[in-house]
Amino acid sequence: MSELQTTKTNEPGGLLKWVDDRYPLIDTWNKHVAQYYAPKNFNFWYFFGSFALLTLVIMIVSGIWLTMSYKPDAELAFNSVEYIMRDVEWGWLIRYIHTTGASAFFIVIYLHMTRALLYGSYKEPRELVWLIGMLIFVVLMAEAFFGYMLPWGQMSYWGAQVIIGLFSTIPFVGPELAVWIRGDFIISDATLNRFFALHVIALPLVLVILVFMHIVALHKVGSNNPDGIDIKKHKDENGVPLDGIAFHPYYTVKDSFGAVLFLIFFAVIVFYAPDGGGHFIEAPNFEPADPLKTPDHIAPVWYFTPFYAILRAVPEPFLGVVAMGLSIAVLFAMPWLDRCKVRSIRYRGNSYKILLAILFISFIVLGVLGALPSTPLYTKLAQVFTILYFAFFIILPFTSAHEKTKPVPERVTA
Amino acid sequence: MSETKVIETPNLKRRQVLAGATGVVGAVGAAFVAVPFVGYWKPSERAQAAGAPANADVSQMQPGQMITVNWRGMPVWVVRRTPAMLEQLTELDDVVRDPMSNNSVQPDYAKNLTRSIKPEYLVVVGICTHLGCSPLYRPAPNSPDMAAGWRGGFFCPCHGSSFDLAGRVFRSVPAPSNLDVPIHSYLSETVIRIGEEVEEGDLA
Amino acid sequence: MIKKSIRNWALVSLTLMFGATLNVHAAGGYNIEFERVNNDVRDKESLQRGAVHFVNYCMACHSAELNRYNRVARDLGWTDDEVIAKLTYNTLTPVDMMVTTMEPGVSEDLFGIQAPDLSLMSRLKGNDYIYTFIRGYYQQEDGSWNNSVLEGTSMPNVLEGVRRHSTEAEFDQFTTDLVNFMDYIGEPSKVQRWDLGWKVIAFLLVLLLLTYLLKKEYWRDIKK
Repeated sequence: MSELQTTKTNEPGGLLKWVDDRYPLIDTWNKHVAQYYAPKNFNFWYFFGSFALLTLVIMIVSGIWLTMSYKPDAELAFNSVEYIMRDVEWGWLIRYIHTTGASAFFIVIYLHMTRALLYGSYKEPRELVWLIGMLIFVVLMAEAFFGYMLPWGQMSYWGAQVIIGLFSTIPFVGPELAVWIRGDFIISDATLNRFFALHVIALPLVLVILVFMHIVALHKVGSNNPDGIDIKKHKDENGVPLDGIAFHPYYTVKDSFGAVLFLIFFAVIVFYAPDGGGHFIEAPNFEPADPLKTPDHIAPVWYFTPFYAILRAVPEPFLGVVAMGLSIAVLFAMPWLDRCKVRSIRYRGNSYKILLAILFISFIVLGVLGALPSTPLYTKLAQVFTILYFAFFIILPFTSAHEKTKPVPERVTA
Repeated sequence: MSETKVIETPNLKRRQVLAGATGVVGAVGAAFVAVPFVGYWKPSERAQAAGAPANADVSQMQPGQMITVNWRGMPVWVVRRTPAMLEQLTELDDVVRDPMSNNSVQPDYAKNLTRSIKPEYLVVVGICTHLGCSPLYRPAPNSPDMAAGWRGGFFCPCHGSSFDLAGRVFRSVPAPSNLDVPIHSYLSETVIRIGEEVEEGDLA
Repeated sequence: MIKKSIRNWALVSLTLMFGATLNVHAAGGYNIEFERVNNDVRDKESLQRGAVHFVNYCMACHSAELNRYNRVARDLGWTDDEVIAKLTYNTLTPVDMMVTTMEPGVSEDLFGIQAPDLSLMSRLKGNDYIYTFIRGYYQQEDGSWNNSVLEGTSMPNVLEGVRRHSTEAEFDQFTTDLVNFMDYIGEPSKVQRWDLGWKVIAFLLVLLLLTYLLKKEYWRDIKK
């Protein structure tokens, strides 16, 4: 780096200097981009963070445009979406970008979280990065839920009915709480209007702030890597980690390549499978919301189904809600549940590998079960995998404390 | 250990070319992306449908009668002028501001004394060229509710602008120019198409 | 490293696809197998025939109120005048929506329910469902009609006459054209979407190649 990247010592002039005298432009650029040294051994798993950021931008821009023609009114909402699809020039494209983006967001985020679990990115000193990230995940789920309601189709309506119904299972205050959330005794225009406000401004604002904090926290402690070792231990005479490379240009060019690859996948869905086989846009949602007629089979969108399966697996409704909440909340505790000093799965013992495999399999199986109509067999299966899902978090603290790990290298491997 | 970093002299030329090419193609991509987002702001199909050409059937009109047709949300007036009204127009050349419509809005085929395709039928947008009120139709000279010496035409109640029966603005009123004539055409002897120029005989 | 990445990518894609396939479930509990319609929304002649059938046989009761005649004309290769002549017998203008001429309330009186709007029926139920449904009428012992897809449907067998006066091939064509048109009105921009998609992807592939070369070029600095 030293030869190539020697920091330009020539002072800026002109407008740049004028701005820089008043705003830490160059400092910020250097600190977070040009002189942010990331480990040189990132593999493909490290694309998903930048994909998530790209998706956020795509969602905000396409969302702003949709807001220009959408009507948050129970009488008008459904037809205003079809108005966008038919009458507004390019409206169909911008809407499909937004619907595809919703699912893409969760695919990318789930893989991003998987990466963290594989390489121990939640561990000391990155606990806050993980916690903020988990908050982003929770806010994103709320954002997606509110957004899913806006087209005001049958699935929008009854999905919201079921989810808000969850609150009414809370002892004592539940029913009143549900009424308060809806602003009515059923899901109605009032509910739609407030959820619209939350979806288009409140939660996006929170998301952007959290994402900012996520990155700031990450840059404070530095990125983890597939070897899970600390690259700051070995620095050259300029204080640059020997295994670190400047984010710009090395990771900007690499992420540009990744971004284009991501956009290709994205475009294939937008142009050739926007329905996602009925998972990204569900067929029953092409019927306007009808408070008097429940569809034959209600399932949440695919990205909620693992949690929904846990909810249904517990026979007692309120306990089901608690279990569902716990299944998400427990992830927040990962930095403290995992007591192993070694971060990366590459050097961890078999116990973690087996446990992690159980977690992933449970999550996927629960996801499938959550989308299927419940039958006694499926409920039994869901119960088994719910137990397995939680088993990961219960067993982990015990096994991780004395895990048989492999020796960790001093320097990153290829 | 310290040998890690630079191993060969980078080909700076190749880098520049590749970075430039990527930048240019990326910028082209960004321009493509802008197309739908800009297009989204154009009048939608619904707006265009509301602004579609309108037909005025003049077969039932009495001489001197005016009908109003809604076109793009604007009132468009069709007046069937009597020979007397037409005759009077020639006498007004000196008292109207723009007798030959040189500074007014109309298609070429209406840039004439009667401001119309057929002298008998006047087609104008019924919006005052001053501040956008809709004038009143007072065709009779010396209408009782008009000021003395009223010559027949249109009177705008907002700021007192007045126009003759060819929509020409009189001198010394606030309105700067004659009433606009929209593009229009005759679908047949008795049907006027407002907002579209159709050759006669092209079926509606 | 690259090989490994490719392997990993493939793994992720496979997992996602596997998940998606597992997720697909039976079409909402209908007990019969749907006939495959095999329509083609690029076939404008079929769409034109289907539009005429739709207006003649469906729109007596049903609307497709999200569709405007001039858009249908444009997409099906008609002029505005042609669409008005062929689909409305010159009674409406090109900017009118495809709304039934049946007075409100009549459908409830006659059939007990409001005939649903058909604009989105193909997206709601699928083309095969509609195809099987409109072909699925059978006569019961007492002479009344029933439907094998939707038992006890309120909709009368409006295509009875067509079936009786046409050969099997003609009836297949008739119903395919009709479903084809309903597919089209479910998403009028579909063909536009297909035609644009590959161009976007081709462009992105060019950009992918450039960014790949750029990345490779820069990363020559980095020793493994």
